[in-house]
This record gives sequence, C-alpha cells and structure tokens, in this order.
Amino acid sequence: MRLCLRVSGELLSTLGVVVLGFLAYMYWGTAVRASAAQQVFARELASEWSGGSELAALTGPGDVSLGKPFALLRIPQLGSSWQFAVVQGTGLSQLALGPGHEPGTALPGQVGNFVVAGHRVTGGNPFWRLPSLHEGSLIIVETINASYEYKITGRPRSVPADDTAVTAPVPYHPGERARLSMITLITCDPAWSGTSRVVVTGVLLRALPRQQGS
Amino acid sequence: MYGWLWRRLPGGPAARLAQLMLLIVLVGLLLWYVVYPWASLHLPFDQSGLG
Repeated sequence: MRLCLRVSGELLSTLGVVVLGFLAYMYWGTAVRASAAQQVFARELASEWSGGSELAALTGPGDVSLGKPFALLRIPQLGSSWQFAVVQGTGLSQLALGPGHEPGTALPGQVGNFVVAGHRVTGGNPFWRLPSLHEGSLIIVETINASYEYKITGRPRSVPADDTAVTAPVPYHPGERARLSMITLITCDPAWSGTSRVVVTGVLLRALPRQQGS
Repeated sequence: MYGWLWRRLPGGPAARLAQLMLLIVLVGLLLWYVVYPWASLHLPFDQSGLG
C-alpha cells in the first residue's frame, strides 16, 4: 500500500514537471523559431523597400503572396522594441512565424478592414498583451507605400471564435459598405485556449511617408 | 520508482548521481526537441485562426 502510494506520487510529480515543461516550451520554445523567422522577414522587407526606383507599390491582393511578409506592425503602447512583420495568410503555418493578414480583407491604408490574426501564446507570443491595449492607443503599420497610423476605437472585445462579423469591411456590421479604413487585430481568449477571440479595432488617422532607413 | 532506479544504477553515490543527471538531461532534450514540438501540433492550444 505504501509502496503503491509512493510510486503513484512519484509518477504524478513527474507528470507535473513534464506538463510545466510543455507550457514553457509553448511560451519560449516556439518563440525561438518565430524570432529567427521574424529577423529574416525584417531583413527581406528592408531590402525590398530600399529597392530605389523599382519600388513595387502595394495596390491589390495580387501584390502579396501567401507566407510572405509585406508589412511591419508596431504598437507604441507595448514598447519600442515590440515589432512584428505581418505575413500573408492566417493558417497555422503562417501564424507559427508571426501575425498574419486574413486574405480577402483590405490591405493597410485601403478602405475596408485590414484584419490581422496572431497567436496569444506560441510563435513568439505576438499578441500576448493585446487585451491590455487602451482606447486611443496607436497601431502603426508600415508597408512599402507608407506608414499608416491607426487609433484604437474601443476597449478590446471578446467574441466567440466563429464570429466572422469582426472581419467584415465595416467591423461588426457585415454587409454594410465600408467608407473608412479600419484595422482589426485578433487573438485567442482566454490565453492557451481556442474557445473565443479577443479583438481590437482601430480606424486610420493618417498615412505618413515611410521614414527612410527605418 | 526513483528509489528502484537508484538501486539499479552501478557505482558509488557520486557515480550514480552523475548518471541520474545525465539521464534527466537526455529525457529533457527528448521532450524539448521531439515530444513537445509534436504535441504542440496535435493539442488544441491557441488555434488562433479565424472562424
């Protein structure tokens, strides 16, 4: 009896350590691969954007290809070192490397809704602190065209995972015709789970010329 | 379980401790580089896509 208790106690504590190790892997382990990919993305964008006269502007869906980065995302409220390259596509293989643009939604600066999904945990944990964003905080999206400043229009909202109305051209109003340029950032809520989504919406304030060399 | 393992390992206490450490490191590496990556793809954690 005592042997039995001791063995099962040892097994359970071992299992606990293994599970804790798995959580650590999800948070830090998966970030290693993502941050390596993010560095490559940032270099790719920098060399593309400094291409001189042969600059290819971003005008339509044909100018972005699946898995390829095309924008830099910054949120000053999350600190000056918080920056992620946004890739095209929101499949798990794209999100494993960073935030992804939902195909079919607007591109940065365009009228409509620029929708970006990202992991809360894993893949560099890009949107770990998304729920802490304030109304009025800035979201900056830089592409080859310009640097777009969006202002967050409300508190982060939690919606069911299958609520696609948040990705409509007018967020929360599917079917309505868009007049404004909006941005929508989406991640998992609660963290570690897939049961619902937390969503941050912003509206375009202005487009600035891209800062050279940044 | 660990007591049984301790008694099975050859050598004195120092040698046994070294072997045990090596074993723990090996198991840790196996988990971190093989088991966890596999599990992260198959467990429903943070499937952040849409819809």
